[in-house]
Amino acid sequence: MSRVAGRHWAYVALTAALAIAAAIWAIPHLYETAWFAYYDGEPGGTRPPFPSLSPDLFLLPASAQLVLLAVGVGLLVQIYSTAYLGHHPRYRSYALVIVLFLVAMIAVVGTTNLWVLLVGWEVMGLCSYLLIGHEWQTAEARAGAAKAFLMTRVADLGLVLAILVIGETYGTYDLIGVEIAAGQSPQHATAIGLLVLVAVIGKSAQFPLHTWLPDAMPGPTPITALIHAATMVAAGVYLAARLFFLYAESTVVVTAMAVVAGITMLLGAVLALVQTDLKRALAWSTVSQLALMLGAIAAADPDAGLSHLISHGVFKALLFLGCGCLMHAVGSSALSAMGGLRASMPVTFWSTTVGFTALAGLVPTAGFFTKDSVLHSIEQATDHDGGLASGTAYALLAAALVTVFLTAAYATRLWLKAFFGPAPDGHAGHEAPSAMTGPLVVLAVATFALSIGQPFHLGTGLLTTALAAAGVGTIVLLWRRGASVDLEIGPLTAELGLDRPLSRWLPAVVRGVSRTVVDLDQEAVDAYPRAGAGLAERASHVLGLAQSRNVQRYATLVAAGVLVLVVVGVVLT
Amino acid sequence: MPLLYPLVLAAALFGIGVYGVLARRNAVMMLLGVELMLNAVNLNLVAFDAWFADALHSGQVLTLFTITIAAAEIGLGLAIVLALFRALRTVDVDEVGR
Repeated sequence: MSRVAGRHWAYVALTAALAIAAAIWAIPHLYETAWFAYYDGEPGGTRPPFPSLSPDLFLLPASAQLVLLAVGVGLLVQIYSTAYLGHHPRYRSYALVIVLFLVAMIAVVGTTNLWVLLVGWEVMGLCSYLLIGHEWQTAEARAGAAKAFLMTRVADLGLVLAILVIGETYGTYDLIGVEIAAGQSPQHATAIGLLVLVAVIGKSAQFPLHTWLPDAMPGPTPITALIHAATMVAAGVYLAARLFFLYAESTVVVTAMAVVAGITMLLGAVLALVQTDLKRALAWSTVSQLALMLGAIAAADPDAGLSHLISHGVFKALLFLGCGCLMHAVGSSALSAMGGLRASMPVTFWSTTVGFTALAGLVPTAGFFTKDSVLHSIEQATDHDGGLASGTAYALLAAALVTVFLTAAYATRLWLKAFFGPAPDGHAGHEAPSAMTGPLVVLAVATFALSIGQPFHLGTGLLTTALAAAGVGTIVLLWRRGASVDLEIGPLTAELGLDRPLSRWLPAVVRGVSRTVVDLDQEAVDAYPRAGAGLAERASHVLGLAQSRNVQRYATLVAAGVLVLVVVGVVLT
Repeated sequence: MPLLYPLVLAAALFGIGVYGVLARRNAVMMLLGVELMLNAVNLNLVAFDAWFADALHSGQVLTLFTITIAAAEIGLGLAIVLALFRALRTVDVDEVGR
């Protein structure tokens, strides 16, 4: 037993070594000038000409933050897993895939070479497939893993094509070279931007390719924390921000991005509000929050989007790990199985409370400041005439404000339903082991610590606080009155049937097409060889008449033959 | 006596023999057909021997050989038919072939 645990700590040590190496590499880059400082060297300077396949490790301050976020959350997840999943027979593959996941994420954010970025991007897709399907004995996990893999893979075509177009347009696959070239004359902005948008929509689970993320819930909870916070979905937003300079001028792209973000943030928030499962609710919340980040990028402020990505990564990891502690205590992620766990799980309660506060966007957590930045940047976009049209920006702002209200409401609802009220059938619950609560405390502290030095905008700050307070107040009021805080509206609990086009109709269409192809092959193409075979068979029947197996008939034929020969011979001579 | 008479008779016998071998299903009758063909040949041999007025009478000698061999042959053939009948309770060649 202790030997097993000891071996598990070896994976923690491996992850820690990776984290320390990454930190040593990333920390000096943290405070370099602006977040997205474009390369200001001489054009055609020291960078190798295209195509170059060396990793070209290069960190912008934003990438450095993401590297630290990824390895930090990864290390905490690894520690957490020793207790959460320690007895799993396939722990070794689980722990090593997490390390591979982190390496892939570092490759994505730490390289300037687009092909290396693509490799990291795809390896992350593979890792998420493996980890979501870790419990492959259940059909649900297999389906979720295959869905995540297929949907992100389809969207990844966008990235491949985008990279090819970038390479063709600017003559280099190196981002710094691209920055130099695009700084003077951005070209094909709309094509590149739309292709990048497709990739981002798939990776970051935006409408209409958002359905894989909630269905990825059968994966182990620490993995959900990793995917939702620090790696997989973060890569999509990072890409959108990193390549923003390429398509910033294209109204089409930023408008499309704003529309996608607006729809997704409302959709995710509404669906998070009606969920009966804590983990799934948090998944929809991630969808909604990612849309907020994309909204900020569409509003020409990638910095705000990335800062919200970082703070969201911390508090969403905290919430998912807290959710894992609750599942550990009650054995289910259904909200109906929880309740009244405040007293028996104090550490989980307090740290998760910090997480929910940050999700709701309340002072003084990092979530408040970064959401404020996002709102501020969208608000700024309403009155400048480049990129996003003013009307679109107002619509996006309205969507974001409603989302702020809804986010506070569902965060409060989840918090109340998990920790307050009567416990179902007197379930007492118990605190999780310290290897699980430790990461929670660290993340809770980080949620506060990240708010240090964040910019603050008074107008939007007051507005979001008021809206969030209204959201919290509404739910608390309903709860106090003893009213139900569950929204049981049929179409909403069925998640609006948005999954149907992709999970039912698309397979039906594919099946129909393939059936037609099979029919064509069997009926039309196969007709020729079948006709040939039939002909040969009929010929063989005719020839087979002579093979009667009747010796007398053979002898008759011989005699007749002889007679004919004789007659012919006589006649001819 | 002109040569034609025995030759026509021999040809008729041979034809009946061929018919018996090719058309009859009874093994005994097929053997009889074979005998008829042999004896048609014998008749030919004797007829030509007389017509050539051969001093050595090689035709008649050959006929004696043929009769001997035919006797052996019919003995063997009837033995086979008997064995067939004992084993299969039939001498119909179609039945036996099946």
